[in-house]
Amino acid sequence: MIFNRSAILLLATLLCALPAFSQDAPKFKFGKVDAEEFQKKAYSVDSSANAVILSEVGISRFIGNNSGGFTLEFKVYRRAHILNKNGYGVADVTIPLYTGSQSEEKLINLRASTYNIENGKVVSTKLEKSSVFKDKINKYWAHQKFTLPNVREGSIIEYEYTIESPFLFNLQPWYFQGENPRLWSEYQVAIPQFFNYVTLKQGYHPFAVETTSTKNDNFTLSESRTAMATERYSFQASIAERRWAMKDVPALKEESFTSTLRNHISKIEFQLSEHRPPLEYRRIMGSWTDVMGELLKDEGIGQINGNNGWLGDAVDGAVGNTTDKLQRAKKIYAWVRDNLTCTNNYGYRTTQSMKEVLRKKNGNVADINLLLIAMLRKAGIAAEAVILSTRSHGYTYSMYPLLERFDYLIAAIGIGESVYYLDAADPSMGFGHLPYKCYNGHARVINADATPLEFSADSLTEKQLASVFIVNDSAGRLLGSVQKRAGYFESARLRRAVKEKGKESVFTDISRAAGAEMTFLEQSIDSLAQMEGPVDIKYKFNMPMGDEDLIYFNPLLDERFKDNPFKSAQRLYPVEMPFAMDQTYLLRIEVPKGYEVDEIPKQMVVKLNEDGDGVFEYRISQTDNAIALRCRLVISRTFFAPEEYETLREFFNLVVKKHSEQIVFKKKK
Amino acid sequence: MRCLLTIIAFVLVTQTKAEEPFSVTNIPQPLLKSAYVVKRLEDQQFILQKDGEAVIRIHCAYTIMHENGDDYATFSEYYNKFREIRSVEGTLYDARGNVIRRMKKKDLQDLSAVNDINLIDDNRMKRFQFYHRSYPYTVEFEYEIKLNGTMFYPPWFPQSDERVSVQQSRFIFSCPDNQTFRYKAYQYEKEPVVVAEKGTKVYTWELNNYPAFLREPYAPAARRLTPIVLFGPVNFEMQNYRGTMQSWQDLGKFIYALKAGRDELPGNVKDRVHQLTDNIDTPQEKVRLLYEYMQQHTRYISIQLGIGGWQPFEAKYVADKKYGDCKALSNYMAALLKEAGIPSLYTVINAGRGRDELFEEFPSSQFNHAILCVPLQKDTMWLECTSQTTPAGYMGSFTGNRYALVVDENGGKLVRTPLYTIEDNTQSRNIKARLDQEATLQINAATLYTGIEQEEASGLIHHLSPQKVKEQLQQELDFPTFEVDQFSYQEHKGRIPAVQENLQITVSNYATITGKRLFILPNVMSRFYRKPLPDPTRKYPVELNTPSRYIDTVEIDIPVGYSIESAPKDTEIKTPFGLYRNKVVLKDNKLYYYRLQEQYTGTFPAGSYADLVKFYGDIYTADRARVVLVKAETPLKAF
Repeated sequence: MIFNRSAILLLATLLCALPAFSQDAPKFKFGKVDAEEFQKKAYSVDSSANAVILSEVGISRFIGNNSGGFTLEFKVYRRAHILNKNGYGVADVTIPLYTGSQSEEKLINLRASTYNIENGKVVSTKLEKSSVFKDKINKYWAHQKFTLPNVREGSIIEYEYTIESPFLFNLQPWYFQGENPRLWSEYQVAIPQFFNYVTLKQGYHPFAVETTSTKNDNFTLSESRTAMATERYSFQASIAERRWAMKDVPALKEESFTSTLRNHISKIEFQLSEHRPPLEYRRIMGSWTDVMGELLKDEGIGQINGNNGWLGDAVDGAVGNTTDKLQRAKKIYAWVRDNLTCTNNYGYRTTQSMKEVLRKKNGNVADINLLLIAMLRKAGIAAEAVILSTRSHGYTYSMYPLLERFDYLIAAIGIGESVYYLDAADPSMGFGHLPYKCYNGHARVINADATPLEFSADSLTEKQLASVFIVNDSAGRLLGSVQKRAGYFESARLRRAVKEKGKESVFTDISRAAGAEMTFLEQSIDSLAQMEGPVDIKYKFNMPMGDEDLIYFNPLLDERFKDNPFKSAQRLYPVEMPFAMDQTYLLRIEVPKGYEVDEIPKQMVVKLNEDGDGVFEYRISQTDNAIALRCRLVISRTFFAPEEYETLREFFNLVVKKHSEQIVFKKKK
Repeated sequence: MRCLLTIIAFVLVTQTKAEEPFSVTNIPQPLLKSAYVVKRLEDQQFILQKDGEAVIRIHCAYTIMHENGDDYATFSEYYNKFREIRSVEGTLYDARGNVIRRMKKKDLQDLSAVNDINLIDDNRMKRFQFYHRSYPYTVEFEYEIKLNGTMFYPPWFPQSDERVSVQQSRFIFSCPDNQTFRYKAYQYEKEPVVVAEKGTKVYTWELNNYPAFLREPYAPAARRLTPIVLFGPVNFEMQNYRGTMQSWQDLGKFIYALKAGRDELPGNVKDRVHQLTDNIDTPQEKVRLLYEYMQQHTRYISIQLGIGGWQPFEAKYVADKKYGDCKALSNYMAALLKEAGIPSLYTVINAGRGRDELFEEFPSSQFNHAILCVPLQKDTMWLECTSQTTPAGYMGSFTGNRYALVVDENGGKLVRTPLYTIEDNTQSRNIKARLDQEATLQINAATLYTGIEQEEASGLIHHLSPQKVKEQLQQELDFPTFEVDQFSYQEHKGRIPAVQENLQITVSNYATITGKRLFILPNVMSRFYRKPLPDPTRKYPVELNTPSRYIDTVEIDIPVGYSIESAPKDTEIKTPFGLYRNKVVLKDNKLYYYRLQEQYTGTFPAGSYADLVKFYGDIYTADRARVVLVKAETPLKAF
């Protein structure tokens, strides 16, 4: 770390302000547990909880170290009450530690105890050093693991530890919410004036405490320049002491149609933005253009910039003698997609050199799509890398260039006036298509302008069309012919299924769902290899006519919602659907020979809301000897606030109901 | 002359060039049928050097025909204190058998292999995969593993998976002349070829040109269908323990030796045992009290390091930490019982739902779990010591109805654990419901689950908070749109445990009411979900393992004025696989529905599979048959 010495001399001494502590904070001291604490068998925050975090406090601060820099010290204290056997999980603790190329994070001052009531007295059992295990996960991560001894129903457990980290970017985030409810969760961060961090907060639970105060403190650093000489610096600096706390935080709850809980959990995160005097001024978090400029020079991503002469053979092999630019692009895309295997679906940074990727034929998403970009460029096609965050990874901010928020890299190419987005890491995607997990809002092109992009789930519509014709055949049976054009993502799923289990499996599923009396013929699936478009399924079926007086017939066959997809009655988080939908079902059925229509369902048209974000139409008509049905379901929006949930659920309730209705044919007398 | 020879040699070389050994053209046609993988060559050499030391040498070449076979293109072996990976070489070939590339040392990944259920163990793993996507292709691996400790010899099981055909597979066992070992073959008729050379003897088993098989529903496990040879030591050494393993008795002796003297309890726990049991009369009750004490004062934490994979932690350790794995907890429970004067036997078993029976004729370590056997005067109690909630003496689907090795100072003996019969495993459901004009159904469902049938409900209530139980019910119940209004569970502990479930549910649009008709499914909550597909080429016998009985009575109040237009006929189907009966009656605006289903057990010939398909299909259809009610015609009113 380089010092601006004159700045140190000029430092003014600031008076520190005393932090204003809230009265709500529980005053727990390690090792001091009162018998009364065991009295509670349930807590009002969640009466059905298996374990409750009574208090947890994290403290992050910076201290000068003896290699001329600063060490981040992250101290954690946690006390929990285990209410029943299913709460034993809180007694199993895993602490991840990061190892860099030259230095690593260290776990120090770990102590842990379990408290139980025995004969009316609090008895404590300490964790022994020998019961702490280290599991080396990979080159970068090791887990320290332990479980507390003597845990029973009703035990109170307590532990604290400190992580010393040389990595200033790793100012630890704090999660105020988790699997168990918390009575008190607090984070204190003391940031010296010479570091500036951007603070990012999210969640719905309010802070009980949110304060900032300043004080002055001494920092001492030393550094061995030679074997003999050690330089010491000592200086005073102002420190911002920030404190956040939440009270009575409920446990996190999984809900369907949530792209990720990460978007909803109450948490606070930090991002180093600059070094300030007395350190030499240095901007760490630049503007978007700075950040993208850096990425372009990055050892991994930067590989797309060179001439990459060595790629010539691979490109020639892929394009053959095609000259048309679009066709060349399509061939290169298909070659990369079909010959490389994605071993890790997440990451915008490379894991190995591009030459290795080509040799070993595998890599993470970034490795594969960067190779694609390099090959496209080699073939004379303008291609750039785009980074984004997939749905399960959470939203990104367009305001802050925070790379940790990103986890995916795709290619953008321009041919003439057209722009195409490509992902060769997903083997089921066609040219110009991205998997829906990429449609998560804001994304950025890695170019000098850091061009912002928007991939909105609303812009994706899963369009499905099924048409069914049923006629009387000469043998006195009903003969049906079905044609179904699947939506694009359903088509991708079908392609995967066919690849894995064969074509028959698709029809096995159809016949399994149908009644035993139906026989199927002329089954075919088209466009399996044309991955840019949808898949068509065609088949015919025979339905023998019995001698029943009445025939009950569901005109939707199996193309119907049997259950409401929105199961729970209440909703905490917004509904986030992966795409909009537009399903059309057409039927024309001849009245079975010897029968007449006794009853048909009524027509219906319903709108989801006044804005018409969803429409359900059920139009049925009857002529002399046939019935025609047109049934359409459109949901054109993908995001619904919790307040809109009930409407959405009720709408689908109507759909399910209408889909279950029957046509009744009566035997002619 | 010399010149001519060179020419001939040259011609030979170019000819073999055209016909590379791993070319797919060399695969006999029958081996390609249904195969994702063809084992071109597989040599497994097991070289026993002396007791306690052995080397495994593998040389294999697999042709991958389809992406579902890619796992076979992966090298993946675990290692630990007892097992080191010495060398690995890998080569990738194209369809014609030409080398595409070779594995590089640096490409071999080193990963943690700590099992999910263990807090910690000492297994790590080396892994490498050729990521090739043009099929077919062939991979060849050669590697060597050194074993320090020889309690287990690997089996030879060339066709453990479906869709794998075997062109050639060999198992070569070699050991010094004076060494002895044991083997037993299943589904394999031939005797091994034995060759003696310079102080060693070499046994070879071989399988050639074996086509792929396909897994079939309700069929026995692969190890009962394809060739397998088991190997085991006569004498063995593991860390500092030596033992012999010619019989179950021998193996039991070794297991006993590992745990001997580890049952010392601290004074305070001894006192507690006496407080709890001294005034109790029956041993059954003593066992129950101590078992519940153990359940309340310990929990399951698995730590498997070194010999700890086989040896239990001392009882003192468990008393102090209040946790342990299956071995430690069973040993601790035995110590508690001993203090109360009740002898018990440490027992090892192969646990898991639907686990295949062990090979009882071949004594070897075929176990993955430890329990405790308590022989009492009238009957024997079995204790599962890792569960916090299981009633004393209940084994259930996890460890019931199978062989277990019970050990004492004299060695081990195979004994069968309790069998649960059709009388034990039942689900009796009684539904009272009311359907209103809007087709909303209000359900009161009271269900009593017993034996194996109660395990799911028991798991639900013991492992989830009430809030989560509700969420689970809301997700799992099979209704279109519904709300679980109330729910409660009561547990009855006992040798055959029971759970009583009471649910109140409101279902919207349960029935479909059109102009004059009402369509309703009288089977509200017990619809059979199995629907196997016909298979005209069924090869393997049908195995049904768990006997159960399901009884339903349903009574639904329906709006007035309806009469039956169409209703399913009363059904009764009797087969060797089970029994099914149902009946619908409408009386006084009440719809009554009765259902009985019994599932029997047994092994049936392959030819009977079609009957099973028909039986299950008939139940499936009958359970989904609707009743159509029609309103009496009312005369049209004039406008």
